[in-house]
Amino acid sequence: MEMNDKDTLTIVEHIKNFARRHSLFVLAYGTGCGAIEVPPTMTSRYDAERFGIVGRATPRQADVLLITGYLSVKTLKRVIRTYEQMQNPKYVIGFGSCTINGGMYWDSYNTIKVLDQYMPVDVYINGCMPRPESVISGFIKLQQLIKAGKADGWKKYQENLDWYRTNQKKVIKNWNMPDYNW
Amino acid sequence: MSDNIQNLQKSLSERLPQCSVKIRKHGGVELNSSKENLVGVLAHLREHFGYRHLSHISCVDWLEQNQFELVYILWNYESRIQLFVKVRLARENGSGISIRHLWPQADTYEREIAEMYGLPFDGNENPRELILEDWDAMPPMRRDFDTRAYSKEAFYDRPGREDAKDVRSVISGRSGEEIPEIAIPYTRK
Repeated sequence: MEMNDKDTLTIVEHIKNFARRHSLFVLAYGTGCGAIEVPPTMTSRYDAERFGIVGRATPRQADVLLITGYLSVKTLKRVIRTYEQMQNPKYVIGFGSCTINGGMYWDSYNTIKVLDQYMPVDVYINGCMPRPESVISGFIKLQQLIKAGKADGWKKYQENLDWYRTNQKKVIKNWNMPDYNW
Repeated sequence: MSDNIQNLQKSLSERLPQCSVKIRKHGGVELNSSKENLVGVLAHLREHFGYRHLSHISCVDWLEQNQFELVYILWNYESRIQLFVKVRLARENGSGISIRHLWPQADTYEREIAEMYGLPFDGNENPRELILEDWDAMPPMRRDFDTRAYSKEAFYDRPGREDAKDVRSVISGRSGEEIPEIAIPYTRK
């Protein structure tokens, strides 16, 4: 974030953030049961497009990655790959208790429990699963954070990449993915 | 229907005297085979008894008897009677016999059992992984695998959950409300 000498956002950043928060392009990707809450959020009854939330097909086109429920170790590998392919700035929303503390899969041998150990999460939405109202309220929270210049998970990821990599490699035994550097 | 089952049991006992045949309480016929006879028995059932469909191969871990039990579930479209062919195998260093030449779909079940129970199949060596990826601990569906201890060691815990208090008692302690008698047996101590 560009800051001026009074440690507030510059006018250019304000304009950028205005554009960013009103065109949140969501990657059409879902894990677990929360993916089923996304279609009603997007379609006519709740109509998330009012807030500029639109689905996109590929990681290169998307700004927001939704982690919609439990993540198995196998899926985590694909999610990290997807996240690293997305363009900056990028945001992550964690759905439901599974991403927060493991939820009902807290003693499962194959699902991770705390998502923010492996990738930066900007907004968590609680619930099991959150209803479309909560999903929209989570998006609005994300918009507020972007407006305030606080949704900087992608920066944290770049700065603390070693820490995230250590955590990721602890669960992903066979790391055969390309190493991105920014 | 019960007539059919009686007839089936009778003819199975006559044709396959090396196996014990009995009628299950909740429908279907159960057939216990030895490992040596298994492939022959299955092929015979397929050719002469009309059991053309393999529904599933299931595995049961009899930890106390140190055995694995494979259950082959077969289905006959004409008589509509389900048949369970059971075979007991050694738990340590035991192996099943692949029946991929009889039913190609058996490959999927054999891969799953090899991965989840660590039971190899002769004739299906080095099967590819089915569900897990790069798993190097004990096969997770074995009964002596402690999933809670494994997850505690492998993954991070969010602080504040380690005491695992019962939600009901926490809420009642906060608001001073009593736990209803009906809920007490289900409350975590």
